[in-house]
Amino acid sequence: MPIYNPIIKNLDMNELKRYSGLTKCTEFPQSLLDQACIEAQIVSKPKAIWEIYDYDPISSTILSPEPLHLPPTVISKHLANSQKVVVIAVTIGTKLEEMVSEYFTKNEYTLGLLLDAAGTTAVEIAADQACELIKQQANKEGYSPLFRFSPGYGQWDITVQPQILSLAHAEDINITATSSCMLLPRKSITAVIGLTATVCNAEHDQDSKCDQCQQVNCLARKD
Amino acid sequence: MIYIFDGAMGTMLQNAGLPPGYCPELWNQEQPDIITAIHKSYIDSGADIIETNTFGANRIKLTHYGLQDKVRQLNTAAVEAARAACGPNTKIAGSVGPTGKLIVPLGDLTFDYAYDVFFEQISALDQAGVDMILIETIIDIQEMRAALLAAKAVTKKPVICQMSFGGDERTVTGTDPVTAATILEAMGADVIGANCSLGPAQLLPIVQKLSQVTNCPISVQANAGMPSLINKQTIFPMQPKEMGEWAEKLALAGARYIGGCCGTTPEHIKSIQQAVKSISISNLPTIQQANKTTALTSRSKTIYLGANHPTVIIGERINPTGRKQLAADIASGQFISVKKEALAQIRAGAHLLDVNMGVPGINQAEAMQYAIQELSMLVDAPLVIDTTDTMALEAGLKAYPGRALINSVSAEPERLESFLPLAKKYGAAILCLPISSDGVPKTAQDRLLVTKQIIHKAFEAGLKPGDFVLDALILTAAADASAGKEALATLKLYREHLGYPTTMGLSNISFGLPRRDAINATFCAMALDAGLDAPILNPYDPLMQHTLAASALLLGHDPRGRSYSINYAPTSQTEERADHSIPKNIIEQIRQAIVSGEKEAVIPLVEQALKEGYSSITISEQALTTAMNEVGLAFGSGQCFLPQVLLAAESMRAAFLTIKKELPNHATISLGTVILATVKGDIHDLGKNIVAALLENNGFTVIDLGKDISPDKIVQAALDHKADIVGLCALMTTTMPQIDITIAALKAAGCQARTIVGGAVLTKEYANQANADSYAANGVDAVTIAKKVMSN
Repeated sequence: MPIYNPIIKNLDMNELKRYSGLTKCTEFPQSLLDQACIEAQIVSKPKAIWEIYDYDPISSTILSPEPLHLPPTVISKHLANSQKVVVIAVTIGTKLEEMVSEYFTKNEYTLGLLLDAAGTTAVEIAADQACELIKQQANKEGYSPLFRFSPGYGQWDITVQPQILSLAHAEDINITATSSCMLLPRKSITAVIGLTATVCNAEHDQDSKCDQCQQVNCLARKD
Repeated sequence: MIYIFDGAMGTMLQNAGLPPGYCPELWNQEQPDIITAIHKSYIDSGADIIETNTFGANRIKLTHYGLQDKVRQLNTAAVEAARAACGPNTKIAGSVGPTGKLIVPLGDLTFDYAYDVFFEQISALDQAGVDMILIETIIDIQEMRAALLAAKAVTKKPVICQMSFGGDERTVTGTDPVTAATILEAMGADVIGANCSLGPAQLLPIVQKLSQVTNCPISVQANAGMPSLINKQTIFPMQPKEMGEWAEKLALAGARYIGGCCGTTPEHIKSIQQAVKSISISNLPTIQQANKTTALTSRSKTIYLGANHPTVIIGERINPTGRKQLAADIASGQFISVKKEALAQIRAGAHLLDVNMGVPGINQAEAMQYAIQELSMLVDAPLVIDTTDTMALEAGLKAYPGRALINSVSAEPERLESFLPLAKKYGAAILCLPISSDGVPKTAQDRLLVTKQIIHKAFEAGLKPGDFVLDALILTAAADASAGKEALATLKLYREHLGYPTTMGLSNISFGLPRRDAINATFCAMALDAGLDAPILNPYDPLMQHTLAASALLLGHDPRGRSYSINYAPTSQTEERADHSIPKNIIEQIRQAIVSGEKEAVIPLVEQALKEGYSSITISEQALTTAMNEVGLAFGSGQCFLPQVLLAAESMRAAFLTIKKELPNHATISLGTVILATVKGDIHDLGKNIVAALLENNGFTVIDLGKDISPDKIVQAALDHKADIVGLCALMTTTMPQIDITIAALKAAGCQARTIVGGAVLTKEYANQANADSYAANGVDAVTIAKKVMSN
């Protein structure tokens, strides 16, 4: 599949606030939020890559050259009606995380935290844009994409990460996994997107993202 | 007359037995009779123009089948198969589809390679005798530009450019139909249109928008509705009769070429043909006439310049002349300052950005190409390419996925000869600068004459009335007393005699004088009244911003002063803030500044407190510690949030540093020594860094070992530093067991330090089973626990 470099012309301020734990905060210096946004836009190098595979929902298997069997957890249920799956990897590169560390070293903790949140916002926007491209291509053939489902959510063990990276050809955009299956660069996403013949319930999909996550202390968790 | 295109080729090939995964274009050689029969069926159904079976017959697409060396043969065979079906009046359009790759900067395919790929295919189609070129189903305007340039280089035959739009009326890469039409018409497209992705209902508003902005005929080839997948087959639901009904609406909206895309069949084309043949020519909308408004675009936005449009601000700040830091940023290839200037100018109200890479000693063409590519990904304001270097100009124009303004074209012969053909080729507008070989004309009348010469030459080069922006030329008022007057007179003459939009670099007027901002803003107001449409200025200048806002109101561009009122009416929030009473006691003021995270404000307050005789201990205990405790409590009760806690910590640090600076012998007492680490295998350290910051600014000595730290190192550090507390962090389930291992190692080594653990996936239960002494859910919690540990 081609490499796609999504355009990030605007960072959603509400998402930045959510990821930095400021959703309910009414008074916070806008200049700091603006600075984090601008710096994230400047240093992010968004890249996405994906591959489409046939999927066998009965055996919960991605029919890649080396088939990948999915565990009987939420991910299998999520893909139960899928005929194909898209395996995608997205990153914004390493520069932003280096700047976050520099800010902490310079004792500018707040900007460090906000820039980290802006990086999360940026990689999510990049993934959203790649998904939009996938959606248009899928729609042309009569498929509807489900929301993207990432390893680590809904009891889908993170140890699948190296196989997912391989299926997405993520090495072409320089995403790798550590021995403990963490993604490098850190601001990266991998996911599987089911393609179904029916239109999914987008609203339900949106709501379920935080429901699937066990991190109850997460700053960004939606109520 | 409305011309009828044919319908889908792929659908027909599948029905004729093309095996799944087989190269459709290979049938041009292997099964030419089938291809000819498909064409014939469309011609029999009323198609005036048939499209060759060459949608994927480019080198990149054919590589998938190992057929990359058969570009010429497959395209030639396709044209022959089409010709075999033609009647005397049938025309053949050579179909050129996308490469399947995205072009830099959206992808990794270079513009030059894409151009070569299209050139190769279009040459083959042209030489095989097609009547026109049809570039279709393109989602990236930059790919369309490459293909259109290649087509124009190959042939003088008509070129039809069709983009694919989504339900939001933009291509998936962000281009709207108005912007696409503006770019493509300027580059010389003969017909502009849309195909695929959507059904006719969704394409109707796109045709309507196209018809309002382009002088080119419009083409449309919709899918037979929105598809469904039934029994693993993609089914397009719209029946021929309904397609015909929509065709009539498309024609009345302005389409002159109508056909079908995915899912359409000869029956659909027949229905379309019957529906539109009865439309009276007098019912069809007339083609737009050229006017003197100039449109510039980025990939996703069109901006109009002209007397009937609001003032357009051209930001002048991306110019390294006299700016060492910006010049160094460009020379180093970083472009961080360039990007910052771009975003900041947009936020300050700039509508267009001037881009000048004039740093001595660098490769300006490379720098311009990179700057244009990067900025096109960062902002949606159209760009102005500001250079005197022909190679830099071409590099910038080629890289820009929009319609740029060239700054500038003078009447000097070499500039006219080198710049005008590039403007024509890449569809750019030109900024006409009235300077000739004789130098700068002094009077307004002479400037008008020189500008007319430039426009005359531009028309000869093929440019059109919508391609100009006229510079009135500003000299320095300090050196020439008539500088302002002549520039204003030039603007009036331009308006009276030419009518094209105008510009000028305002700040030249005040060069060498004090309070330049006052002169610039005053001159701007005068120039706007004299007919200035697009000033080039420093958008950060507040006085200029006020002048522009007031001028927009006074010149009728801000109906009822709505924007002006929104920007300048006092808000209830500022009134509320003004009512805040300032605490009288300096200690109380410091405490409040820390709680509010006012880092800059806290420094003079601490200095003042020390001057007033407060001891460092009093300041620390009554202001700083009290403030941090207050923040911690507010966080615990959900009234304060983590970034605010960190701001308070930064303010606390600023206060401590001020005390230390003022009283170098001031001894600080550490609450205890804490070793912090993210455990082995874990590379996330944001949470750990936050804990370190909070502990440090609450009086602890923190030794931060970093991330991915082995148990051995943690044990060694704890023993070496006689740590009171060891804080361990793990973010992932895969690294969580390292918490257990590290705690076991600490205990085995006889380390007496208390352990506090935390991290996204950790829970109190896990901490207990790992034999940790405490679990901290967040940074503030960690501080509270650490203080409790030390008080015991």
